[in-house]
Amino acid sequence: MTLTKYFEIGKINFINSFAYTFDLLASSVFVALILFIFVSLWKVVFGGQIMIEGFTISMMLWYLVMTESIVTAQGHVVEEIGEEIKSGQIANYLNKPYNYIFYKYASNIGNGVFRFFLTFLVASIVVLIFLGGITIPLISIIPVLITVFLAITLHFAMMALLGVFAFWFEDAKSMHFIYQKIVFTIGGMLLPLEIFPFWLERISAVLPFSYVAYHPAKLFVNFSFSSFFSVLVFQIIWIAVISLFIFLVFRVCVKKVSVNGG
Amino acid sequence: MNSAISVKNLTKTFRTKTREAGVSASFKAIFKPNYKKVHAVNNISFDVKEGELVAFIGPNGAGKSTTLKMLSGILFQDKGECRVNSLDPQTQRKQLAFQIGTVFGQKPQLWFHLPAIESFNLFSKIYELDKEEYTKRMLSLVKKFEIEDLIHQPVRKLSLGQRMRCEFVLSLLHNPKVLFLDEPTIGLDVVVKKTIRELIKKINKEDNVTVILTSHDIADVENICNRVIIVNKGKIVYDGSFERIKKQYLAKKFVKVLSETPINSFEMKGVEIVKKTKFSIELEVNTKETSMGKLIDFLTKNNTINDLSVEETPVEEVIAEIYQR
Repeated sequence: MTLTKYFEIGKINFINSFAYTFDLLASSVFVALILFIFVSLWKVVFGGQIMIEGFTISMMLWYLVMTESIVTAQGHVVEEIGEEIKSGQIANYLNKPYNYIFYKYASNIGNGVFRFFLTFLVASIVVLIFLGGITIPLISIIPVLITVFLAITLHFAMMALLGVFAFWFEDAKSMHFIYQKIVFTIGGMLLPLEIFPFWLERISAVLPFSYVAYHPAKLFVNFSFSSFFSVLVFQIIWIAVISLFIFLVFRVCVKKVSVNGG
Repeated sequence: MNSAISVKNLTKTFRTKTREAGVSASFKAIFKPNYKKVHAVNNISFDVKEGELVAFIGPNGAGKSTTLKMLSGILFQDKGECRVNSLDPQTQRKQLAFQIGTVFGQKPQLWFHLPAIESFNLFSKIYELDKEEYTKRMLSLVKKFEIEDLIHQPVRKLSLGQRMRCEFVLSLLHNPKVLFLDEPTIGLDVVVKKTIRELIKKINKEDNVTVILTSHDIADVENICNRVIIVNKGKIVYDGSFERIKKQYLAKKFVKVLSETPINSFEMKGVEIVKKTKFSIELEVNTKETSMGKLIDFLTKNNTINDLSVEETPVEEVIAEIYQR
């Protein structure tokens, strides 16, 4: 019964995301533009080379298709939660028979699944037209989708943690900004970690940010079952650790929450 | 009858940051913020019986919403205890959630871009309602609130009054025992206000729902509630019937008299002359000290009265006076 509840919450968000068609179109155009720029950029960088740090040009761009799709799948979770805490709108959620954080998660997955596939579609079309396809083993599709789902979950968890901090800090926006830039860089959203100096690559590879972008995308363009299992384990560990933090922080905060506006 | 809500010595203190004006003070506040304690709710106690319709009023910042939020498990009290349907909102929030409904005039719960029916269906799942029962209840509520034609349109297309009626249906789907209404008529026009009031009374009567209402519109209170609790500065300053407020505080009446013969000045205990011309007089009468009959007797004996009107002090003013104590 409890699960159907969250499933319905996800569903209504999925339906609701159609209300923002313009928003979706705008972000799709933006994704297309970014991909187009990167296709041109990597063509220049690769020049005559076949491989850079173990990536061919098509791997490099399909990697980017994947990271873009994962990272843009979710909206502004940090701001959303922060704003709800700040404005007191959270009151509407706290007196319902569900868990606020799970509610938010279900909502974002509902939105996120739709946006993931949309971004993936748009980005793929651009890369297909201007560069060409990539061959991936059929057997990898389901494992990759699993890591993508966990990546979206982890991404949500980290943003939710930052959002919950709005109980203390007034402004969640700046935290979102910083987090976003971290995912862009050491999360491997723009460039695979191999491009970095060795020490930075090693550090980045174990941090949770790379399990949102780098690892799942790498798996997509260069699949092996052994790396799939290691990615899976680390994703689950990070999700567990961060969820624990969220619930600790939330528990403490909710007790001393002063709902604004009343 | 059982008590639906019982509150004992409830206290809630907020710590708010205070900051002095100026650059250096702002800079100092980063490292050493000053905190000020605000007693939002200060040791209040009351009991609400099942099926009662209670208005909870007071000036802004008096502690009304804070109390309501503690009752619905959103805020946690520092001291004292409260029970809603014999549940403790602090530890049994989830169980309590099934039994209470809320309508916040300023915090809509309907999905803005979707037809109301989608929100209804979602809530039926959230409250784990049986499908058949839910459909039956939903249809009867939809009929009661006359929103049959509205529930399939996106909520954003509805007027505020129509939206409010949908909000009510949404909050009543799970058949709550206690309904919290926080300024439900805010921003509505006179006609819609009246409909909403009638509906609140109807739900209370037909489903025996206990209703706690906050409002800044005294007419809401006068028309809906049989009991009023007035809070100010975190304390209860009045708890009783609306009628009693009138009796207790509305002792002053204004009398205007037009006469065909010149009126002479006179003195009478409890009567004060506010304004006097040759053929008219305005009096403020304290009915506790002088009966209206005695005054009118006196006036008719000495004058040939052309017209006489008696006015009460507007209730708003009385309440404002209570607030200011």
